[in-house]
Amino acid sequence: MTAETVKIECRNVSKIFKQRAGTVQIPVLDDISLRVLENEFLVIVGPGQCGKTTLLRIIAGFETPTAGHVLLDGKEISGPGPDRGMVFQKYTLFPWRTVMANVEMGLKLRGMAKKERREIAGHYIQLVGLQGFEKAYPHELSGGMKQRVGIARAYANDPKVLLLDEPFGQLDAQTRYLMEQETARIWSAEKKTVIFVTNSIDEAVYLADRIITLEGKLPGRVKSSYTVHLPRPREHIDKKFLELRHQITEETELLL
Amino acid sequence: MNAALEHPTTVQGLQRHKSPAAILRRLLKNRYVLYLVSISGLLLIWHFSAVNFATSKYMPTPWMVLKELWRIAHENLAGKDLLGHLWSSLHRVLIGFAIGSAVGVPLGLFMALNRYINNLVKPVFDLIKPMPPISWISLAILWFGIGEESKVFIIAIGAFVPALINSYNGIRLVDPALYDAIRMLGANRWQTMMEVTFPAGFPALFAGLQISLSVAWSCVLAAELVSARSGMGFLIILGMTMSNPSMILSGMVVIAVTAYLITVVLSKVEKWVCPWKVELPQ
Amino acid sequence: MNPDTRLKDPLSLRVTPWISFIGFFVVWQLLIDTGIVPRILLASPAEVGQLFIDKLTNPDPDGAVLLTHTMVSLLEAVLGYVLSLVIGIPLGLLMGWFVVAEGLARPPFEMIRPIPPVAWIPLAIFWFGIGLTGKVFIIWACGVVPCVINAYTGVRMTSPTLIQMARTYGASDWQIFTKICVPSALPMVFGGLQIALALAWTTLVAAELIAANEGLGYLITMGRRLLRPDMIVLGMIMVGLTGWIIGNIIDRIERRLTAGLERGGAAT
Repeated sequence: MTAETVKIECRNVSKIFKQRAGTVQIPVLDDISLRVLENEFLVIVGPGQCGKTTLLRIIAGFETPTAGHVLLDGKEISGPGPDRGMVFQKYTLFPWRTVMANVEMGLKLRGMAKKERREIAGHYIQLVGLQGFEKAYPHELSGGMKQRVGIARAYANDPKVLLLDEPFGQLDAQTRYLMEQETARIWSAEKKTVIFVTNSIDEAVYLADRIITLEGKLPGRVKSSYTVHLPRPREHIDKKFLELRHQITEETELLL
Repeated sequence: MNAALEHPTTVQGLQRHKSPAAILRRLLKNRYVLYLVSISGLLLIWHFSAVNFATSKYMPTPWMVLKELWRIAHENLAGKDLLGHLWSSLHRVLIGFAIGSAVGVPLGLFMALNRYINNLVKPVFDLIKPMPPISWISLAILWFGIGEESKVFIIAIGAFVPALINSYNGIRLVDPALYDAIRMLGANRWQTMMEVTFPAGFPALFAGLQISLSVAWSCVLAAELVSARSGMGFLIILGMTMSNPSMILSGMVVIAVTAYLITVVLSKVEKWVCPWKVELPQ
Repeated sequence: MNPDTRLKDPLSLRVTPWISFIGFFVVWQLLIDTGIVPRILLASPAEVGQLFIDKLTNPDPDGAVLLTHTMVSLLEAVLGYVLSLVIGIPLGLLMGWFVVAEGLARPPFEMIRPIPPVAWIPLAIFWFGIGLTGKVFIIWACGVVPCVINAYTGVRMTSPTLIQMARTYGASDWQIFTKICVPSALPMVFGGLQIALALAWTTLVAAELIAANEGLGYLITMGRRLLRPDMIVLGMIMVGLTGWIIGNIIDRIERRLTAGLERGGAAT
């Protein structure tokens, strides 16, 4: 947190889902306000069904808020776009494209020349540790490797903000642990503004500059906010790490 | 997989005490031994039942079918040899299949992409769909005569239906998350269509073409059975009118082998055109 | 009739299916009435409707009333179909679980499998003549293939976890087969029933077109011989309609029988 520029701002965002032609209304988010600073790693923690994914999808532009505004660099978001990069829980790679073609897709859509985009994509494939797998198809990769491709694909497009939606939710514990380390390493190597959604407090404490917890039931509201001052790289068994994790767990009794 | 589950430990040590019963039990668990038993059993039963029970007038022996196959491969039957008749049928299939899929695939795509087109075409398509393609044969003969056109028409109708249904479903059933991913990367409408809609729908579309082709092969036979002067369907109906069951059976062998080869070739082509495809969801 | 319309759709989207449906018949009728398509090539919807009413009671000129033709076709189809289920499904189930059954039954089955159903027609007529037996044989030969394939695949797709679980509880091979494999194969088996039905109906029509003296396919053929397009079209419509109705009945039965399974997750 060196620069103090506000990158993303949610102003009083509320969302109500309507079902059956509007007869059933489900309030999902209620009056969410938050700010993400430039190059800040913000983690939003909440249990399943608390609206955290909906909040991320609103910031991504897939959903429009029922009330309130989302601003990127002071301008209101009007739909999905390449100024934000998204990493999906279910990987969502293009199965008919190789690793290389997946990573360079955003640049290709922008009309960048092949040689140039190869170079950039190659750099990010290397950054996520997948060199040698450029020509593999997604179905040939393990879950952890697929998500590395997902991260490289989002990074390669050079977005202003990176949105990660429970990216390691489908991985086994061992791989998840490894991917958390990798995410911290990649982020340290190339700083980005990150909004990371998870249901794991441990993951949040390990990765975040700042943690926002949501209430454990609908509609989602901001419960509290924690700034994590631990030095990086962090250790899961560090005393201060465990204290903070314990504190958050105590205060958000509905989680986990 | 089941075999492995049934015998989690095929114990090597037990092989030392080989009793005849144990050997027999092991043989009965071996697929290839069973296949061999099955095939030779089938041929023997066929042969002896043809020799002893039915007269060869109704049931030829396997050997007679083989000899007949050799005969029709060389002799001239109603102006053509076996390969000539096979080519007549394949020729009709290719033309009818080309027409049917050339109409069905784009129509299916447009229906999936535009709901007005879908709402206009689907009611009429639903009226036509349940009619077996061969039931058009009488109208086709009235319209086009008994020549090539009426057969090609039947085949085209047969190929058209699965081509349309599968290209339509292929596009409709694309995982919506893929659209999220491509839009997030900054794709416009055209790019979304080229980079996600078509490639994602392609495996289903190709599967539809495979079905179309095998339906087309059935249709050409049916059409030739009804009225033709050449083709494999004509050949087996000729065997019937000549009271020559060996000829019918050897014709059926050629038909089956052709159908099998078409399937094999298409699955090779599929591996080649969509190397990413693992398994198509049903 | 409403392929894809929703309540919130604009009016234009909601009426297009009806425009299409009604327009289809109007254009068809007009093509005939104006003489653009000559009457010897195609009958108008009105003529077909008239013939339908007439054929309900009048056996001329093809020798039987409409109901008789339909019942003859249905009887042939149902007999052959039931026979292929009775033989094909147990065979496929056994092949899926018992190595001996698969080893012995697979080679002959693989030989029969690539033969298109219609190719059986000449042999069946030669052996059994143009009556009921020949037709039933043809339908059986074409229906049995998808029944075996789907029953076999259904058993092979049984979750290995369920099988192992049963084994730890000490179930015998036969118990696992009847209590686990067969129920979890049911959805696939029903998929096979649908395929078999569509095939059976198509093939039956083909067989009746080639050799018959009763049945809907025969009606179509007679229409061509007598140069009566209205008879041809009536026959085609009856074939389509009957096939569609049986398909729906099977669909109903399937939903009722497998509803519990899908909820219980036994098929996964």
